[in-house]
Amino acid sequence: MAQLGQPSAAASTDEELLARLRAGDERAFESLVESYHGTMIAVARSYVRSRDVAEEVVQEAWIGVLGGLDRFEGRASLKTWIMRILVNTAMARGGREARSVPFSSLAPAGEEPPAVEPERFRQPGEAFAGHWNRYPADWSVLPEEGLLGGETLEVIKRAIEALPDSQRTVIAMRDVAGYSVEEVCDALDVTAAYQRVLLHRARSNVRAALERHLDG
Amino acid sequence: MIAYKFLRPDGRSLFTGFRWRLPDDEPGEWVSAPVTPCRSGIHACRTSDMPFWLARALYEIELDGEVVEQRTKLVASRARLLRRVEAWDDERRDAYTRMCADRAHELALGASPALEDWDAVVEPSVPEGPALLGFVAARIAEEISGPQAYHAERAGQTRWLVERLGLET
Amino acid sequence: MAESADHITCQEVVELVTEYFEEVLPADELEVFEQHLNFCEGCDWYVDQMRTTVTAIGRIREEDVPEQTRERLVAAFREWKRS
Repeated sequence: MAQLGQPSAAASTDEELLARLRAGDERAFESLVESYHGTMIAVARSYVRSRDVAEEVVQEAWIGVLGGLDRFEGRASLKTWIMRILVNTAMARGGREARSVPFSSLAPAGEEPPAVEPERFRQPGEAFAGHWNRYPADWSVLPEEGLLGGETLEVIKRAIEALPDSQRTVIAMRDVAGYSVEEVCDALDVTAAYQRVLLHRARSNVRAALERHLDG
Repeated sequence: MIAYKFLRPDGRSLFTGFRWRLPDDEPGEWVSAPVTPCRSGIHACRTSDMPFWLARALYEIELDGEVVEQRTKLVASRARLLRRVEAWDDERRDAYTRMCADRAHELALGASPALEDWDAVVEPSVPEGPALLGFVAARIAEEISGPQAYHAERAGQTRWLVERLGLET
Repeated sequence: MAESADHITCQEVVELVTEYFEEVLPADELEVFEQHLNFCEGCDWYVDQMRTTVTAIGRIREEDVPEQTRERLVAAFREWKRS
């Protein structure tokens, strides 16, 4: 939390960045595009069908950002403002492709897929129903390089790629790009509870993929 | 007020991993943490809470400042460890585990009809220690006689601890 | 639906992990969740797996910008600079 009278670290970065962009600093713009690209593609793909169209949406969004830069007042953070432009662009484009708002696609309560397959637990009617049949593995005994190394990251990337669009969007924003809950809710116009359900499913799916890879 | 706290053998808290300064001849240093329900504060046990939080090392803890009572724990804004309860050693832990296992067998096999599938879980669980066996026994009691029996079993576990460890209630 | 107010199953724990990390579990639910982790090694390992998974996801480098996108955007920036 910023002290009264002192700009927060994020604001001075926004101000610096804005100044450099408005001064025509091409390198600053390229950096910005690079740092946002993965997340913007992930979000765009929630609204449009193909990867190619998502790239076009992202390009369109940046042109929208440039068009609005002079008028940007800094009431929202730059990050939030850019993501909102992206979402609006994607929704407009998605509308033309007759794809409905992706975040209404949550299954009704009771039909949500479980985080772990039911067979892993003792069955209803058994003694200690709902408890593990066999424990999951203790990953703390695995060497850290294996757990967080290149091969594992490839498995995780593929798992994220394979997620349903809305799950991929939320996990990309929250866990890959490190957006806060508020920033995600703001950009996607969803409630905290809603993004949490998607995040839960996404993380559970990725864990399961990682488990299949590590446990063989 | 005096209460109890279980820690890992190296003095770290069970969930926050906070490293306590352990008492030797003198009590440990006072630690402060504002009490925000569910978020922060120092956790401690009344004796009735102990069966739920069993871990390797047990300490007597002095609580000060704001103390909030929750269902199975106390949350305080200020506390210091007074002394280790040496009586809670490997031998007593094993004895507690065995006590709970025996109770579980007694309950499961004494039921009519006998709960053999429930009983089958007891011995394989023993290596996992006192916390698990305490749950197993209480859960079997509940299966036979309902939620009150779960609490009654836990109260029995507390009585065993108070008596064998020489605790103030 | 919780098995009881006094304890939860492993199957319930794995559905609550995200809320636990986000620190939005209500007090009573948090208590039984932590009690469960205290006696259940399997769930302790599962929660650790989830934590490790989230950490690993955080290590992913953001995607590279395709050359065509980069060219178009640099052109757009230069265009904007001129106006």
